[in-house]
Amino acid sequence: MKMTIRSNHWISASLVLVPFAAIWLGGCGSGKKVDYSTEVKPILNKHCISCHGGVKQNGGFSVLFREEALGVTKSGKPAIIPGDPGASEFIRRLHTNDPKERMPLKAQPLSKAEIDILTRWVEQGAEWGEHWAYVPPASPAANANIDQFINEKLDDENLDPAPQADPQTLLRRLSLDITGVPPTEARANAFAARFSDSAYAAMVDSLLASPQFGEKWASMWLDLARYADTKGYEKDSRREFWRYRDWVIKAFNMDMPFDRFTTEQLAGDLLPAPTDDQLIATAFHRNTMSNDEGGTQDEEFRTAAIIDRVNTTMEVWQGTTIACVQCHSHPYDPFRFEDYYKFMAFLNNTRDEDTWGEYPKLRFYDSLQRQDVTAVTQWVKQHGDASQLQEAQDFLRTLEPKVHAHDADQYINGQLADTKFMAIRNGGSSRMKNVPLNNADRLLMRYWSGEGGTLEVRADSLKGPVISSMALPKGNGVLPVALKPLEGRRDLFFIFRNPSLDPMSTVASVEWMAFRHDLPGKGQAGYKEMEAKFLALVNANPESIPVMVENNRDLFRPTAVFERGNWLVKGNEVKPETPASLNPWPQGAPRNRLGLAQWLTDPKNPLTGRVMVNRLWEQLFGIGLVETLEDFGTQGFTPSHPALLDYLAYQFVHKHKWSVKSMLREIVLSDAYRRDSKSNPELNEKDPANRLLARGPRFRLSSEQVRDQALAVSGLLSDRMSGPPVMPMQPDGVWMSVYSGERWNTSQNGDQYRRGVYTFLKRTSPYPSSITFDGSSREVCLQRRIRTNTPLQALVTLNDPVYLEAARTLAMQMEKGGGKDPEICIQRGYKLAMNKDISAAKSAVLVKLYSQALQQYQKDPAAAEAFNMRSVPDGEKAHVAALTVVANALMNLDEFLSKS
Amino acid sequence: MADKIIKEANDRAARFFSRRHFLQDCVTGLGATALGSLVSGCNLFSGSGAAPVQSLNPLEPRAPHFPARAKSVIYLHMAGAPSQLEMFDYKPELQKLHNQLCPQSILEGKKFAFIRGVPRMLGPQAVFSQHGESRAWVSDFMPHFAERVDDVSFLKAVQTDQFNHGPAQLFMHTGSARLGRPSTGSWVTWGLGSENSNLPGFVVLTSGGKTPDAGKSVWGSGFLPSVYQGVQCRSKGEPVLYLSDPEGLNRDLRYQGIQAINEVNRLEYETFQDPEILSRISQYELAYKMQISVPGVMDINSEPAYIHELYGTEPGKESFANNCLLARKLVEKGVRFVQLFDWGWDAHGTDESTAVDLGMRNKCREIDKPISALLLDLKQRGLLDETLVVWGGEFGRTPMQENRDGKEMPYMGRDHHVEAFTMWMAGAGIKRGGSWGETDEIGFSAVKGQVAVHDIHATILQQLGFDHEKMTYQFQGRPFRLTDVHGHVIKEILG
Repeated sequence: MKMTIRSNHWISASLVLVPFAAIWLGGCGSGKKVDYSTEVKPILNKHCISCHGGVKQNGGFSVLFREEALGVTKSGKPAIIPGDPGASEFIRRLHTNDPKERMPLKAQPLSKAEIDILTRWVEQGAEWGEHWAYVPPASPAANANIDQFINEKLDDENLDPAPQADPQTLLRRLSLDITGVPPTEARANAFAARFSDSAYAAMVDSLLASPQFGEKWASMWLDLARYADTKGYEKDSRREFWRYRDWVIKAFNMDMPFDRFTTEQLAGDLLPAPTDDQLIATAFHRNTMSNDEGGTQDEEFRTAAIIDRVNTTMEVWQGTTIACVQCHSHPYDPFRFEDYYKFMAFLNNTRDEDTWGEYPKLRFYDSLQRQDVTAVTQWVKQHGDASQLQEAQDFLRTLEPKVHAHDADQYINGQLADTKFMAIRNGGSSRMKNVPLNNADRLLMRYWSGEGGTLEVRADSLKGPVISSMALPKGNGVLPVALKPLEGRRDLFFIFRNPSLDPMSTVASVEWMAFRHDLPGKGQAGYKEMEAKFLALVNANPESIPVMVENNRDLFRPTAVFERGNWLVKGNEVKPETPASLNPWPQGAPRNRLGLAQWLTDPKNPLTGRVMVNRLWEQLFGIGLVETLEDFGTQGFTPSHPALLDYLAYQFVHKHKWSVKSMLREIVLSDAYRRDSKSNPELNEKDPANRLLARGPRFRLSSEQVRDQALAVSGLLSDRMSGPPVMPMQPDGVWMSVYSGERWNTSQNGDQYRRGVYTFLKRTSPYPSSITFDGSSREVCLQRRIRTNTPLQALVTLNDPVYLEAARTLAMQMEKGGGKDPEICIQRGYKLAMNKDISAAKSAVLVKLYSQALQQYQKDPAAAEAFNMRSVPDGEKAHVAALTVVANALMNLDEFLSKS
Repeated sequence: MADKIIKEANDRAARFFSRRHFLQDCVTGLGATALGSLVSGCNLFSGSGAAPVQSLNPLEPRAPHFPARAKSVIYLHMAGAPSQLEMFDYKPELQKLHNQLCPQSILEGKKFAFIRGVPRMLGPQAVFSQHGESRAWVSDFMPHFAERVDDVSFLKAVQTDQFNHGPAQLFMHTGSARLGRPSTGSWVTWGLGSENSNLPGFVVLTSGGKTPDAGKSVWGSGFLPSVYQGVQCRSKGEPVLYLSDPEGLNRDLRYQGIQAINEVNRLEYETFQDPEILSRISQYELAYKMQISVPGVMDINSEPAYIHELYGTEPGKESFANNCLLARKLVEKGVRFVQLFDWGWDAHGTDESTAVDLGMRNKCREIDKPISALLLDLKQRGLLDETLVVWGGEFGRTPMQENRDGKEMPYMGRDHHVEAFTMWMAGAGIKRGGSWGETDEIGFSAVKGQVAVHDIHATILQQLGFDHEKMTYQFQGRPFRLTDVHGHVIKEILG
């Protein structure tokens, strides 16, 4: 709505307003209080805000925030005068017939009802209500429960709820939902024998206690955490992050309360005396991609990672997309441009800098090395003070704090090689600017030198005082360099020499430097030995995982607004703050990531609980109460059952104390969850997407479930948990990464049959069958997998060798159960696949397929042989081959690929 | 705004209700008749037999915003970024400056991927001459293409802002240097559907032994439904992953197997009445159709000898030539977007294969004849009028010789260059024998007719009948465009 008003128009406008006022005053005598959130905001969003909001403020008018809407427009006057619609240009422009003036410009006029709402709203004071999602859920009635909310709505719609599903179907549903795999036969038999409510509840508890629970629910979280086994971008080389995946599985299995789960991942390193597990948890935000391509600026990609962390944090915990606020205020929701950078300030102070080595990393020393760690720390304890002890422990744990070669400048006869290493030729030098020395008397320098040479370090300038001079041994590793102590921060110049080298050759390349102090107790007996142990530990190359380490005061990184979102153009500096439109900052919380986690898990936070229960609901029912898992803002969908969502969020936070298992338990015990999923024409017409839940959920399994189930029912599935990622069978030629000798080597000894959550995930080339079934490539946070239906999926389950092997193995089991009798074999196969008995009609179809296949294979024994029946005795080859064809069909049935 | 909301609502409705419509179609006996052929005796599908399954097919052909000049696109991407200075951008002045130190004024404030300090200028390593009625300059690296210059319009001053391969390729194909956006082909198939329901709407063919640096995201569907992502077909081995039946299972048995699967699914539908089951039936039907039709389209053996001679194709090999021929076959069959990537153009001069005078000449040999053949073949079949052909890399190369790590390189090579490079387009309403944009005397800066990456996108969409500013998809609470908030149609090369 263009609101620039020329004076002559204003006069005429005032004139027409008189009769006009009479109309609306007469027209809306109802005086019913208008609800901003449900009545006004949708109209503003739909018709006004794209020209008068966060992106554009045409005519100097915006309806995003109240003070903007009531402010003076370009015409010099405010457009909305609370309590006086007659004098409000905002209302007049909705009525006028002049096409140049009437709003929305060049679009259909608003309906009478819409104009009526806006008019009454201005009349009632143009109050800005809160969007529902920004108001914390209220405490529900004492007797409230899930079914009450669902059934009320069904009553409203005159729909009858379906009865409970049969026990077999229900158990399969429950088992797939809780553990990701179908029930074992023993479990199924016991359950079917004596089915009752209490047996069902006991089954729920038993499944929740199964270690497979964590494997199933980790998949959901790993999409959010963008966990992968490679770095992403061009080189996309391997990284070792699997301990984080195992941490997530373990956290789900031990039912770590969601507030703690949140805190450890966002700020485990800031907890007092953090455990290794708490540090591993912080790999959550180290899952951002990192770029090793030659010529890339580390700071650019560090910034990209921080932006990703801001977006991901808001997406995962607040169901809020804030990426657009990078450049301008949110077009629809109450997040201001500066809010983005204030939020970024929480996350912008970690040591990681997109280095090739992905530092900082938590180091896992072996048992012998751990003895040395103990010895060194004991020594420091004995000879030094508490802060020296802390420093030594921290350094051995993560080799931090250190600074990287990419900070060096003023190269003479040298350069930042491959944008990664300080590489200097004979007589050349480079500067490390403004290094916090604080009387450091020792430099630990990770370097490489082909022929050795000398190193000289000068302070302040190339002609400044020499603070170190030493021979540089050839080889590579972390070298201790004695420094003359200097106070404060200084520029240091590093000069390398080896006159015997060809002038074009590099004397040495440096990766990182740590300015430190010698171990305490120098000169005491045993010092040299301790020193050697310490250096050996620093030089060790143990297993590790990238983690978060907060910058110390010396390395503090200020955060500034990026003008128009451009990271190279820095504006005003900002301090860490959360968006004002959400809950207040918790009292006494530190202004860092730890405080941020407290803010997110504060019961006053309106979003965290709702967003998480909605995710849990979506996993079980296939569609969230808020369908847009990713957007709880005003552009997202409104909840199908707002009161139920609030009830669940309240329960989750207050009653279940953030326990995911308890929350899931309550949901799966509801009638709504247990309903039969049969539909009918009336339901298909009235509620095609099953939002009202008159029937039980029925939808296609996830990519992990599709694979795990096939392996499980055939008996191939390995129950081995944790450890480095595995490589199941994958066709040749899928991995063709540039500049990388990495190969896909099919895992052996059962590892190729482990659950999908353990499959190696390469971001630029994810496991093909997983991606075909909508698995995520995990480059960025994925909040919701959209289920698609493409013929390529059918090709996977029909022809992928993994599924063929599963079919063959299932056929063996069928044969074991039914011998030569195809009908019994098929009954057996169906039972194994579907956990129930096959109907006569379906059996007839499959028996016919068996006969067709048998005929073929009897006629053509070579075909049976080729169908991988080599290990089957001659007389049975055609029979087993035909059963395999049937098993392959079984594993492609809609009912098998769906949860029902 | 209203349009966007309506569009969004339609999309949602399409996602939600297509299955319902399908169900209604079935009930009234109009839909799914194709299945009748497969699922015999299925009373649900005993319709009259004419109408194909339409509402279920997200690739169903759709009309663009306005009448289109192009029905299909063939996009030839030389991954690694070819040197414009050895192919199309003739710079005699640069020859004169060969081996002289690069003036500081040029280097000031510039950032290069590998050049450090002061590099030397590198004169063109090819011999240029003018060709055709348009008198276009083409080097002796591309003798066959030189004969086709009157079919194309050159863009001599294309610019990008990404000087690393991965981000630059993403930018060129998705309009963003970061991951997560749909590729041009995905946008196009989302907007237009496909003319052939037996084939994917968006096909990707790679050659040169490797996939592009940015990985499969350059043909990913980003936030669009995955059905719009490019399907990588391979000219060697299985054309589509898992397309062929396993050994020992013949086509008859596969057919019978799918019949049985769909028959059981039909029984399941009778009980559950879930329209999703009907989608599943259709999905298996389509998979089977692809099994039958894809190998034929992807088989070039049956092409006549003169065609093989023309393209320089050798059946069974993974080659750019084979991919060009396949591209023609695919658009002929109604595939909407065919994307070719040829890897190996990163001519840094670190070894013989990346020397602009050696390796690059060989790369040109690999594409020269096939590209010329493709243009000629499309033309002789009347397809060039409705097929837009686009050629280019992710950026260009410097007029300076690369001096990686400040050292002299063993071979002549050029660094990545973002400020000016050459692309060309042909067919489907593109001006014949046109050229737009100029660079300075040494080919460093664009001095006239600058074209941004988003302008390329806007122009492709324009020829397909779309206003790039109106083609939006609602995601994460805001409308997204291939051209973001940029892009101008390059009117200067439209016929």
